[in-house]
Amino acid sequence: MRPWAQVLLLAKREFIERATGKPFLVTMGLILTAILAVGPIVGAVSGGEEEATKIGLAGDVPAGVEAELTTRAQAFEMWIETVPLADRSGAERAVTDGDVAVALVDGSEMLFKATASPRLVALVQSSVDAAVKGAALADMGLTPAESDAVLTPIPIAITTVDEQDPQEEAQRVAAFLGAIMLYISILMFGQFVAMGTVEEKQNRVVEVLLSRVRPWQVLVGKVAGIGLLGLVQLALLAGAAYVSVQFIDLPDVDIAAAGVPVIVSLVFWFVLGYTFYAFLYAAVGSTVSRQEDLQGAIMIPIAIIMPGYILALVAAENPDAIGPVVASWLPPWVPFVMPVRLAAGSAQPWEVVLAVVGTVIGAVVLVWLGSRIYAGALLRTGGKVKYREAWRAAAE
Amino acid sequence: MLELVDLSKRFGGVVALDGAGFTVDRGRILGFLGPNGAGKTTAMRVVFGLLRPDGGTVRWNGGEVGPAERLRFGYMPEERGLYPKMKVRSQLVHFARLSGMSASDAADAVSHWLGMFGLTDRGDAKLEDLSHGNQQRIQLAAALAHKPELLILDEPFAGLDPIGVESLAENLRSLADEGVTIVFSSHQLDLVEDVCEDVAIINEGRVVVAGDLDDVRNRSAKRRLTVDVDGRPWIPDWPGVEVVDGPGPDHCIVDDDAPIEAFLTAASAVGTVNRFLFEPPRLTDLFREAVKT
Repeated sequence: MRPWAQVLLLAKREFIERATGKPFLVTMGLILTAILAVGPIVGAVSGGEEEATKIGLAGDVPAGVEAELTTRAQAFEMWIETVPLADRSGAERAVTDGDVAVALVDGSEMLFKATASPRLVALVQSSVDAAVKGAALADMGLTPAESDAVLTPIPIAITTVDEQDPQEEAQRVAAFLGAIMLYISILMFGQFVAMGTVEEKQNRVVEVLLSRVRPWQVLVGKVAGIGLLGLVQLALLAGAAYVSVQFIDLPDVDIAAAGVPVIVSLVFWFVLGYTFYAFLYAAVGSTVSRQEDLQGAIMIPIAIIMPGYILALVAAENPDAIGPVVASWLPPWVPFVMPVRLAAGSAQPWEVVLAVVGTVIGAVVLVWLGSRIYAGALLRTGGKVKYREAWRAAAE
Repeated sequence: MLELVDLSKRFGGVVALDGAGFTVDRGRILGFLGPNGAGKTTAMRVVFGLLRPDGGTVRWNGGEVGPAERLRFGYMPEERGLYPKMKVRSQLVHFARLSGMSASDAADAVSHWLGMFGLTDRGDAKLEDLSHGNQQRIQLAAALAHKPELLILDEPFAGLDPIGVESLAENLRSLADEGVTIVFSSHQLDLVEDVCEDVAIINEGRVVVAGDLDDVRNRSAKRRLTVDVDGRPWIPDWPGVEVVDGPGPDHCIVDDDAPIEAFLTAASAVGTVNRFLFEPPRLTDLFREAVKT
């Protein structure tokens, strides 16, 4: 039997036993349900804004005001609806009850509930102006076209110099969420590797295994099986998020264009980051013999990962700051920081190449180091195995 | 044929194996004996490549043992262990397949052994839900399912009740009849005497006695003398006589050229001799002699 066929069997067992285990299924079910619910809920709540703004018209309404309101509303990027009201007291009631946003009384008074909306003031004011003055100009003998020329406001373009492109903003948010997902996934599945290693030591199954396969096969099988489960989970969560977001109305945002690259890059950086850390987690796990002792040992990888995560959050705000830039070159932190800088368009191609090559080399070193410690510590049960001892024992 | 040749192994300053070696022929059962810490487990681990010896080799049918040969071996370590939360059947299939069996062969073999142990209906139970004795049987099945040519069992009888002991002994005998070579360690010497054809006794890293059990007993320079005078054990108070208190009636160990007639005469002078046995030493006698330091 070829060694890799055995590795495949080991990986398959890891994957199936964990994927069909209750803890995984329950957690996944809960998280998926939550993600899938968020979109439709947010969509339903924010959908309320789609209602027309109601403008009440009371008393003696100057001729043509209603028509002017409807036409001018488009220029103001508003969707309005006029509501006929009897008199001033009726208008007051309607405003107080919130039935209308504003009421125009006798063409000479605007009623607001608490604060006057400048946009509505401008809209109503200009509409009344146009209707009343248009009638006056017509009386003076101007044709409708001539009076229009006088009354139509001179168009002045409005430009905001520092406005975020909603698409870019969406990409940044997606990358930010991706970084969090990546962090959680690497932490979670790294921990699975460590726990699986301890479990096999604690249950003494390791000797039964090692009478059939070499330590490196157990290690690679475990890392691969759990890593595959990590990919599946990542894909499910990202897919659920993608579906969920469809329920939220985001004008000017192409969800596919923002989301799909993030999902693809998430997979890439997970494979890289997980490989980097999984062997470290395995080495750490192999030095203890009981799950209770694992929490202390596992602080080593967590302490290395944590700054990377924090720097990724910094990078989301300020991708060109010195901290995130340097962190995005250093192998342990590349998988967290570089994707965020990439999404923000702040990383140069040479930086990406440097980061990926560096991380791959780092991963290879850790695979070698981790495997050796793992092999040396695996058959030593009892207390905690010292790293130096495990290193030497690997030769036995 | 399994050959352990001149194995040596040190852990730091501790010598675990010091030129240890023995041979077992195909289809034979060898009892591997020795006090705690004598090197039994270390030797077994070396056979499976769990430890690399500092010197010496392990041969199987004349060739050096490597990973491919080891897949035809079965091992039950002293530290029992399987996955507690994994279902019995899928667990056994997993290990059989790791040893190179195809999926269908593994399924058949596992069904066979579950049937042999009367555990067919527990195949879908988690291992941890089985009784201690049944977990032991599953452990043995894990070592057996892939039809190994060599079976090495570290303390297989430990923790079994008398019925479990008898059924395991029967299983081992019938496996040996099918040509499986078996090595097992045990502290239950009566059991070893009952089950084994060959024996190897290790002490302080060296094999001090090895070979066919009957040969070893006959070849010994000692004899066991059991005398009953007037219903009580009689033991001569002579130089060179080593008194043994039980198990069984008190007796003594003497040199094989000891003067039998003189013993008999002396015993007759005390009272009526009901029983006078002068025989090759038992395994317990050999063991005690071998590990005397």
